Parts: sequence; structure tokens; C-alpha cells
Amino acid sequence: MNFIKRFFSGMKQEDEASDPVKVTVPSSESTVSEPGASEPIASEPENAEATAGEERFSDAPPAPRTILHAPAAKQGLFPESSDEILIKAQPSPTGDQCMFTVNRVLMKNCSWYFDSFESAAEYSLAESLFSLEDVETVLVCEATVTVTRKDKTLVDWKSLAKEIGTAIRNAVEEGQSLIADKIISTIPSEDVIREGIQKVIDEEVNPGVAGHGGQINLLAVKGNSVTIQMGGGCQGCSAADLTLKQGIHTSFRKAVPEVGAIFDETDHTAGLNPFFS
Amino acid sequence: MPRVLTFKVNIETGKQGPNEPVNFSFNGHTMPFEKVIGSNEPDAIFEGSFDVNSFAHSLALVGPEKGKWEIEKIRVDYDCEGEKPYVVNWGAVTLDETTEVNLWQDPPVPAFDV
Repeated sequence: MNFIKRFFSGMKQEDEASDPVKVTVPSSESTVSEPGASEPIASEPENAEATAGEERFSDAPPAPRTILHAPAAKQGLFPESSDEILIKAQPSPTGDQCMFTVNRVLMKNCSWYFDSFESAAEYSLAESLFSLEDVETVLVCEATVTVTRKDKTLVDWKSLAKEIGTAIRNAVEEGQSLIADKIISTIPSEDVIREGIQKVIDEEVNPGVAGHGGQINLLAVKGNSVTIQMGGGCQGCSAADLTLKQGIHTSFRKAVPEVGAIFDETDHTAGLNPFFS
Repeated sequence: MPRVLTFKVNIETGKQGPNEPVNFSFNGHTMPFEKVIGSNEPDAIFEGSFDVNSFAHSLALVGPEKGKWEIEKIRVDYDCEGEKPYVVNWGAVTLDETTEVNLWQDPPVPAFDV
């Protein structure tokens, strides 16, 4: 106990002896000032001679820079000219879903979400996928098919992915309309979708995440695909993926059943105030 | 997130370049590049690398202290623990004293043919 007391008292004395701490900071950091502040942030040292000619430590953090995102150069998954039907499977890092990319457009300018075998009735591609035992949901968007599985304990997609790939290839080879025109005709206008999604964000989603200092913004509606961005405590939060998939997706699809793909454009690495950091 | 062993940048500057030391910010810590070749003066190519040996939360190229830096292309070669080395290419971006540009991208999700 005495050792601990001596240790801490010694630390205090050392701190006092070495105060003020002098740290050389880059010039940009040393010129930071609060808007409207009339005094410099770094206080004048008592012994000005001791620090003459040296840069002083500022308590103020450097002004955060805005993080930009340069356009990423796209790298094709497939050779440019190939008559063969090529399919790549990409399981998500958490293993909860797998995206299949085909070198053909399956559904142009819109997307469709099938949540059960019943919802896939009459739609050849979805029907053949739901006939596989472990398929839970299917999302078709442009040239991709994203599948979730019933057995959440399995993360190895190799065998199921082969079966799904075969089903997609057979459906494409048959040349049928993969997603029936009947579905496409039921998709409401972008304005109707935007209004419905904004309403559920304002009345249900944002009040829910506000308790964690978070907020959800609707960025765009294209066709029936929705793009959102998470902000505040949601940006960079380790539970953001769970919030997105189990909370936001469910609310959106309940409010506007015709919503297809839901994209999250949040840069979670740039979050300054994540709730579960 | 993987442990970054080392990364190397190759930056093509356009018509405007500050010609000053190039810094990057790793997990919020600003540092200069090592093994530097070239510069960021107009129409020049800058190459630099750093042996990080730490987990990446964020990685950004810091804008110049003064003036603008027109970048035409950025190429980053990553070598991360337990991953195959991978390359990410970005297009044009202009930096100044208030901005930095993200350089971090997770290793590509493994894909296989089915």
C-alpha cells in the first residue's frame, strides 16, 4: 500500500517538475484556434526564457481534416468478352450471406427481394433457388444475386454456393425472363418509395437510434433500390451492421414492401463519435 | 481488420503540386513516408512506403500545408498479415490544407467460381 502511495506521489511530483510539457508540434497544429476565440489557446509559460525559441504545446487538438474519397478504379471480376456464363461467389466476411455476381444483367434498373418460397412463386430464378434446402432469402439486383441461409451456424458456403451457382446458370441458360414483368409492374414510383422510406426513418428508425446518438439519412432512391447513410453514434459503431440488417432493413421492408436492395454508403472508418467504439 | 505489415504508395500529381514533404495519417497519427522516391511537384510521381506492423483502423494521405495538390492517380500496394498482397487504385482527387484522402481498403473478399 505504501508503495502505491509513494508511486503515485512520485508521479505527481514528476508531473509538477516537468510542467509545462513541451512537445514539438507541426506548424498546422500550432496555429489551431477556436472560432471567435480572442486569446491564443496555448497559454504563456511562466518562464518565458525557458521556452524561448521553442514551439509550445497546445492543449487544443488539431483541427480535424475532412476525409475525401477518391473514385476507386473498378477491377472487373470477369474477362471482358466471354460467351460463357460466369458466376463468382463472394461470401460476406461474417458468413451470413453470399453474393453471386454473374457476367449477365439479371434485372435492369431495379431489384427485388424475396423473403420466402411463397413470394417466389412463378419467378423461375427465385423458385429454383428456394428449392434448395438452406436458402432463406434472395435479393436480385442488376447482375447480382445475394442469398442468406437458414442455418446461421454455417459460414462455409462452398457446397451451397456450388448448388446456387448451378441453379442461376440453368435459369440464365433457359433464357426465360428471370424476374417476371408482373413484379416490375408492381414497383411504385421513386417518389412514392422515397416518401414511404423517409416517413419510416423519421417516425421509427431515427427515434430508435437517437438514444445512441445516431441518425440515419436517406441519400437516394434509384428504381426501388434505396441508399442510406449512418451518422452520429452509428458511424463507426461496431453494432452498425446488426442495426442495419435486423432493424433498418426490417422496418423499411415492412413499410414499403416493394423496396429491393438497401445500400449503406456510410464510411464507418471516418466516424468521430461511434457509440460502441 | 488485418495487421498491415507494410504499404507502398505511388502518386501521380497533375498540374498543381505543393512540392513539400508528403505525410500520411495512420489511425490518426500523422507521419512522413520512408524510402521516398520522386516528389509531389506538378506532373511528378511520388513513391513512398512505411513498415507499419499494426492494425489499420484508418489510413489517409494528408493534404499539403499550403496550396492545392491535384492528384491524378493513387496506387497503394498493401502487404497484410495472413493475406495475399493486394493493390488498390484510385482516381483523381484534389487536396488542400483542410483535407486528406482515404487510402485504406480492406483486403478483397475472397471470391470463387461456381
